[in-house]
Amino acid sequence: MSSSRKGGLIPAGLLGPGVIWLVLFFVVPMYFMGEMALRSGSLASGGFAFTWEWSNFSDALDGRGSQIIRTIYYSGAATLIALLIAYPLSYAIAFKISPRWRLIFLFAVIAPFFTTYLIRTIGWKTILSDSSPVVDFLKTIGVLPEDGRLLATPAAVIAGLTYNFLPFMILPIYASLEQLDGRLIEASKDLYASARTTFRKVTLPLTAPGIVAGVLLTFIPAFGDYVNAQLLGGTGQAMIGNKIQSLYLVERDYPEAAALSFMMMAAILITVLIYIRLAGTEAFMGAEDED
Amino acid sequence: MTRRALVAVALALGLSACGGIVGAGNAGNVETADNGQVEGELVISNWPGYVDPGKDNSLAQFTDRTGVEIEYIEDINSNTAFFGKVQPLLDQGESGDRSIMVVTDWMAKQMYDLGYLQEVEHKDLPTVFENIRPGIVSSELDPDRKFSIPWQSGMTGIWVDTEEAPDITSINDLFDPKYKGRVTMLDEMRDTVPLVMKADGVDPADATTEDWMAAVEKIQGAVDDGQIRRFTGNDYTEDITSGNSVASIGWSGDGYLISNDNAEWRMPDEGCMLWTDNMVIPVGAPNTPAALEYMNYVYEPEVQAPITAYINYVTPVDGVKEIFLKEGDKGLASDPLIFPDEEFTKDCTAQVNPPVESAEDITGAFEDVVSG
Repeated sequence: MSSSRKGGLIPAGLLGPGVIWLVLFFVVPMYFMGEMALRSGSLASGGFAFTWEWSNFSDALDGRGSQIIRTIYYSGAATLIALLIAYPLSYAIAFKISPRWRLIFLFAVIAPFFTTYLIRTIGWKTILSDSSPVVDFLKTIGVLPEDGRLLATPAAVIAGLTYNFLPFMILPIYASLEQLDGRLIEASKDLYASARTTFRKVTLPLTAPGIVAGVLLTFIPAFGDYVNAQLLGGTGQAMIGNKIQSLYLVERDYPEAAALSFMMMAAILITVLIYIRLAGTEAFMGAEDED
Repeated sequence: MTRRALVAVALALGLSACGGIVGAGNAGNVETADNGQVEGELVISNWPGYVDPGKDNSLAQFTDRTGVEIEYIEDINSNTAFFGKVQPLLDQGESGDRSIMVVTDWMAKQMYDLGYLQEVEHKDLPTVFENIRPGIVSSELDPDRKFSIPWQSGMTGIWVDTEEAPDITSINDLFDPKYKGRVTMLDEMRDTVPLVMKADGVDPADATTEDWMAAVEKIQGAVDDGQIRRFTGNDYTEDITSGNSVASIGWSGDGYLISNDNAEWRMPDEGCMLWTDNMVIPVGAPNTPAALEYMNYVYEPEVQAPITAYINYVTPVDGVKEIFLKEGDKGLASDPLIFPDEEFTKDCTAQVNPPVESAEDITGAFEDVVSG
């Protein structure tokens, strides 16, 4: 009797703070956002009244197709580039360098977080500005045309997103590589697998959970980001986050801003669910086979 | 009736007696700011770099003189973003402890129309109305200065890198393909769109919805051609400093933010936009007597002079130029950006709002250009 009561209290105690947090700062705001998305009116005419105004949702999407595609493209490209940088780096940190250096490298990955995200992005404005040595060099070696530029281009926005969210890709991948049982790789070699086959059949599947987590942790914030496009982008390079900001602060169309936010959240949620499903079956296949 | 209830009733009666709630021609009832004993704490919201700095600046001297402690917050970076931040408070009749906020004409008018501001009585502001420049004693949006007391004025024109783009003198020159991708414009619709309109010979003061839309379309065309690098707030100063842009629509007093020796503010051939930032008293302001006292205080020419000398915008106070001359500061006294004469600003237009009936559509169209 007493043990079962204890068993009921402890999970509740453990879950409690998290559940309260989620209810207060996720469920309640979601409710207000959903409710706002169904209002109509304007500030000037005395505020917004709740009228089941479903047309806010179609209005919010109207004419924004190319901007939504651009947002997916920028955040998707940033995620892919981050993955291509993060995996070899994490692999090197986990397996190829002496443990003494490991800590220093990991510190270097996290060190940028000691400065705020905004300041670092503003820093990139100076590094990439038209008269910077970087741009001069790229022009000299012919990568950039003579009248070319880096700042205020899609490349700058994607680079900014990649840079800012790279640690979120590195850390989960590193964690999964670090936990990898070295004996499995040895076993693979004993069975005459080539280095490439070992990587493809052993290392990659076993670190897939890290990749899945890294991709999610990078893609989701990159998709909603507006700072990089604002500071590093130019005209015609705004992301959907910039549009939501402008709808809310400048146009003061709170219902349309709420409707657009709501749909973007839903789109992300659906994408993530599909992704986890697909990645899940493939990634955990190896693990299931072992059971 | 308990004692606590009695006190509450007495307080309510007392408040309504001196509250002086008057009806006005806007959405709701408008309060008039109370005058009275000057004491306590005064919270002011202003733009960054918009008052003289230092330990012994005009704010500190106000405290020395009146005993009123000032909490001076530089939390306004743009009218729209600031409005977005305080609107939910103001809508509930609260100001977040602020007794003075500094906003541009059109925003002051918008806040007033929504019932978010208190009116001021001229008898409470003797120094203000003794020293205010005649040219600014009335404005299009607040003819009787009932709710907005000028803080500083300025002009919107073109900052040009004279080395890279010596021949830019008109807003139309910004559309010259020679400067493709090296031009920036402000994301403030009321600066950028009317300037483009003026360049096409339309007077913004009586522009129609079609005129506004045509100007927005012209800007969209330039965006599509890659002519305009970006739309900026105050950060255009960085672009012109680091050579990213050779010409930027910008504000006359920003010289100290631009470290490029070749940068020069130019009055566009077709004239500039004129605007004024105003001190306003929001609803729910906790200390209106101190707010009124502060307004009088900054209208003393001796107090205003160091403020003007530091921030370099157009002062609303008469007698500042004389102080500069007396102190032998001829440079400041003859600077047309601080003391523009009528000849200099003859083609300029006061900032206007788009036509009421289509304001939302025009704002939406412009925002789709800026954040599209």
